[in-house]
Amino acid sequence: MSFVGPSSSFDPLFAFLSFSLLKVEAAFYSLPGSSVIARYVKSSHQNDPGRTVLELILVVFAIRTLLQSRTRNEKQQKHFIEFDEKEIDELVAEWTPEPLTPQLTATEKSDLAAVPIIAGANGAKPRVTKMAKPVLNLASYNFTGLAGNEHITSRAVETLRRYGLGSCGPSGFYGTIDVHTKFEETVASFLGTEAAILYAQSMATIESVIPAFCKRGDLIIADKHSSFAIRKGLEISRATVRWYEHNDLASLEEVLMTIEKEEKRRLRRRGCLSRLFGRSRIQVKYIVTEGIFERDGAMVDLPKLIELKQKYKYRLILDENMSFGSVGRTGRGLTELYNVPATKIDMIVGSAAIGLGAGGGFCAGTQAVIDHQRSNGMAFVFSASLPALLAVSATEAIQILSSTPSILESLHENTRAARAILDKVDGITIPSHPASPLIHIYLKGNTFSPSSPDATPTRFLHPSSAQNSPNLSIVTKTSSSHGSSKQSHQSPLSLPQLSPAQIALEESILQEIVDEALSQGVLLTRAKRLRGQEVNEPKPSIKLSISGGSGGLTKKEVEKACAVIKSAVAKVLAKRR
Amino acid sequence: MSPAAITEPSPMAFRSSPSRSIFKKKSSPSLAPMTSAASYLSALSEADARARGLSKSPTSTPALSLSSSITESSEDTVLNELDDDNRDGLLFPSCAPTSEQVFTTVHTEFGHCSNEDYRYVSQHIPGATLEVVEKDPPYYILLTTYISYLILICVGHVRDFIGKRIYPGAYKHLMPHNGLAPLTSDFDSFYTRRLKQRLAECFAQPVTGVAGRTIVCLDRFSPDFGQSYILTGGRTRALNISSYNYLGFAQGRGGCADAVEESIRQYGVSTLGARMEGGSCDLHVMTEALVARFVGMEDALISSMGFATNSTFIPALVDKGCLVISDELNHASIRFGVRLSGASVRMFKHNDMKSLESLLRESISQGQPKTHRPWKKILLIVEGLYSMEGTLLNLPAILSLKKKYKFYVFIDEAHSIGALGPHGRGVHDYFNVNPRDIDILMGTFTKSFGAAGGYIAGNKNLIDRLRLHGHSGPYAEAMTPPVLTQVIASMASIMGIGLPSSLSHPTRTLYSADGEAFQHPGPVAPAMLPSWINLPPALASGQEGETRLRRLAFNSRYLALGLIKLGFITYGDPSSPIVPLLLFHPGKMNLFHTLMKNRQTPIVVVVVAYPATDLVTSRVRFCVSASHTKEDIDVVLRACDEIGDVLDLKLGIRPSERWTVDEIIDRAVELVKS
Repeated sequence: MSFVGPSSSFDPLFAFLSFSLLKVEAAFYSLPGSSVIARYVKSSHQNDPGRTVLELILVVFAIRTLLQSRTRNEKQQKHFIEFDEKEIDELVAEWTPEPLTPQLTATEKSDLAAVPIIAGANGAKPRVTKMAKPVLNLASYNFTGLAGNEHITSRAVETLRRYGLGSCGPSGFYGTIDVHTKFEETVASFLGTEAAILYAQSMATIESVIPAFCKRGDLIIADKHSSFAIRKGLEISRATVRWYEHNDLASLEEVLMTIEKEEKRRLRRRGCLSRLFGRSRIQVKYIVTEGIFERDGAMVDLPKLIELKQKYKYRLILDENMSFGSVGRTGRGLTELYNVPATKIDMIVGSAAIGLGAGGGFCAGTQAVIDHQRSNGMAFVFSASLPALLAVSATEAIQILSSTPSILESLHENTRAARAILDKVDGITIPSHPASPLIHIYLKGNTFSPSSPDATPTRFLHPSSAQNSPNLSIVTKTSSSHGSSKQSHQSPLSLPQLSPAQIALEESILQEIVDEALSQGVLLTRAKRLRGQEVNEPKPSIKLSISGGSGGLTKKEVEKACAVIKSAVAKVLAKRR
Repeated sequence: MSPAAITEPSPMAFRSSPSRSIFKKKSSPSLAPMTSAASYLSALSEADARARGLSKSPTSTPALSLSSSITESSEDTVLNELDDDNRDGLLFPSCAPTSEQVFTTVHTEFGHCSNEDYRYVSQHIPGATLEVVEKDPPYYILLTTYISYLILICVGHVRDFIGKRIYPGAYKHLMPHNGLAPLTSDFDSFYTRRLKQRLAECFAQPVTGVAGRTIVCLDRFSPDFGQSYILTGGRTRALNISSYNYLGFAQGRGGCADAVEESIRQYGVSTLGARMEGGSCDLHVMTEALVARFVGMEDALISSMGFATNSTFIPALVDKGCLVISDELNHASIRFGVRLSGASVRMFKHNDMKSLESLLRESISQGQPKTHRPWKKILLIVEGLYSMEGTLLNLPAILSLKKKYKFYVFIDEAHSIGALGPHGRGVHDYFNVNPRDIDILMGTFTKSFGAAGGYIAGNKNLIDRLRLHGHSGPYAEAMTPPVLTQVIASMASIMGIGLPSSLSHPTRTLYSADGEAFQHPGPVAPAMLPSWINLPPALASGQEGETRLRRLAFNSRYLALGLIKLGFITYGDPSSPIVPLLLFHPGKMNLFHTLMKNRQTPIVVVVVAYPATDLVTSRVRFCVSASHTKEDIDVVLRACDEIGDVLDLKLGIRPSERWTVDEIIDRAVELVKS
């Protein structure tokens, strides 16, 4: 190469360039193995000059990919609009957000004002603010009457002195107190499972158990009227959810059969492939349901459910929030009532706040199931553990229950006594199971139907009315559930969808009944719902929790309270007619 | 304190339970035959005398007590620890108190420290920078950290491969059986089984007793490399620099615990139901009013679980069409809540205001994805103090951004409430900002108040709406009376009880950065508290609360700055009671933990690693408490100094800039005030 020309003034520059080039070359060749690369580049360039260009492009592309940020950049999406700074400033100035929260409506205000406030200790006969005399309490969960139990409170004080109050840490970080382990062992041996795990709140338990085991792509079959917490757990898990009719195991079986058929079809289609690559992956499949439903007090037929789960190879998550500590000879829940070993259920979720009158929730199952939750149960890992004295109170409550069967006997007697009166009251229906101490009271559908007579929920007479809307919202939600819910069998218990106006009307009537009962000395509560956030809007109801045992109401008092309800219903309905 | 406790038999003397006492194992043999309060008390005074003999006090001044109430407050510890000697230096203060000093706390729960020099006020000094320069470790550390993870992963896979063929029994839960899919996929559980299990020794240590200044660990050993543990029956008392006990209210004795005991007797342990149904009691109403006053908002609501406060109330704040802008290091509960709400989420770089602003500009100008409709509202969710980093929220910057971009601010003060600010009111107090400039303040009672649960505070309409529409209202159990009382008692003792004029530190008018005046919520009126709560004078005057705040601020700065001066890499603000010390290598976590625990004065620490942190930034996290004395922090610094040399952890500053540990201990006050 020769650079001879008028621009001889550039000569020092060229000299410098060639010198540095030589230096770089020397440095390159001093690296071990560099001569091999140089030889390869030279020979490939000789054989095919086009390839050099191609490889160069490849190297540049690789470097670019490496340097690019790994996260999805919004700016590269096709919907992104470029603005300059001034335009953005204008858009920012223009934008007016909605208020953080809309003003409360009059109904909301009155709802809030109607919430009863207990003055002092809660129990079977608490004082309510604004009321002079103590009232008979059918609103609070005190099935076993352990509220204010002297033995438990003295044990709680003892624990306070030894452990302080708060646990001051999640269980992973010095929050595993020996009393937690003691509770877990007690509940596991009470139910007859291998192990159990204690969460700090009962609502958070099921919300966290479901996503610990089910992920995107897994399959969950759930009851259409599952409790709110179950629903939120299903949402968080992002699993595919299919629904069956409320508490209708025939409908469940249909759904299971449909899925089995779909699976077989898929397998056949992929037959040759799966034969090539060995066995195909088995889908993770769960059935989630409640023992006693929070929404209406219905009870699931556990033996039949277990038979189905075994036949179709599913795991079962049973939410015993309402049934643990309220049914069975000693309050062990559905497993005791139906005499089914608890080991047949993969995960039993229960509440220490409702059945045991303390606080927290638990999940019982095999050691593997529990160990998995210790590192994957969100509410377990990321939350401080339960205060020691609540864990001790719950442990003591279990010990009292297992040693005193008379508590549950009296509870069941009280439940029977209540049902004997309530079943005969005009204008209401009771969807709850006769043995359930959680009793829901519905207004009889045809009593009030201001707008359309079609919406009349005469459930037992017109199952056809149930076929209208309740499925629709679900079908649109999970498109895969099309096949099943369309052809699913309609159970007599499935509820018709109510219009918002109908709901508001019924709620106001029920609230009047509640207020009337309170004025006669009986504390009731409407089942409070998050209207608009529930998927299948539950029918408005009054929720009664019968109590028994020495700290609960006596049979006479329950009868008296039910008589008050009877007269309140009659009075309010008469006024409305 | 209550004379009733003496006339009535002690609760611990009750042995008429139908079931075996769960404490039987714990109680010392001398306690078992005692049936009456009188014999109990006589044993107590004996024990006290012996305890005094054990302490190194050369004089015959009363070591622990000046009045009967104080003797009573120390009874538990002294009786329990009769067999222990003070070799670990945890049971008794290193120097005996003089006759003027009165300590009403048990030293193992809340350390005795009377030196007024060891106090500091936690507040932002205007003009001080918040930018924390994070020091990077040398490259060889990063490289070897990656290599150790690589080795761990390779070995893990090899073990899985061979193990599944040789011991199929041990892998049963990972294989399909009976036509059921495996319980957990082996890919998902790989991290837990092959990486976390190697650290099992550091996690879920069973403990007993109060998680105060010291904690009693139940000794355990693992026969199968961390899969399961067997308790040996032995106990080790260790210095606790791990629990969230910022103000030291984790106490089994003292005014708060007395109030809690009274509440259990009056209210029982539960209120039996959800807040909106049959579970609301007058204590809830009082606590909510008190919390609102404490944080300086119009109204507040409480929830029985801190995690659930976020996960069940955020969905009631935002829904589809709203945008949530979230710090990338926000707590899992916030993510849980946002995911349930259905709102869109965008994240910005941790505590980076530039990243936040550019994100705000982009999202407001672009509007909703695809449709470009304007967002209904934008909610910024940030934490006041980040639990893994110790970083402080840059609140002034956020509020000035808020003025321009009109978003709403939700601050999760889980760790900062009580722990920051001259009055312990959290991050707004620290920066001297009017709390009403913030839309929503959320926090927990677990950390500073020694209780459980959480709160949300805001304007009345907002809180009422959340009461009605939050998931917890109708579906979650209400907070229990003992927990409520602990919150009331601890909060009131920080605020002080009395009429605004009657206290030593009356209501002050404060000025925020832009000159706007606002009234600081002063002491709480007695009418706001239940009539049966009788706090001892030290608590009721707010004096002890103030001391706690100052001690915490001193301890936090002392530890953080001391570690930096020793040459360690730490994260976060020196004012933060959370002090992370970087370890980097996964292998050093186990070692650090074990070396700390096996010292003559055992120290329990929390080590955190991926996924709670970045893969390479494994760390130890110290949680400083007001209950620690300066001597305790000295012990920790000395331990870190020695272990840091062994494990090559002093990577922060050059040896020439470092101080020796003795120099740090001697010049502690100077260091803290620097």
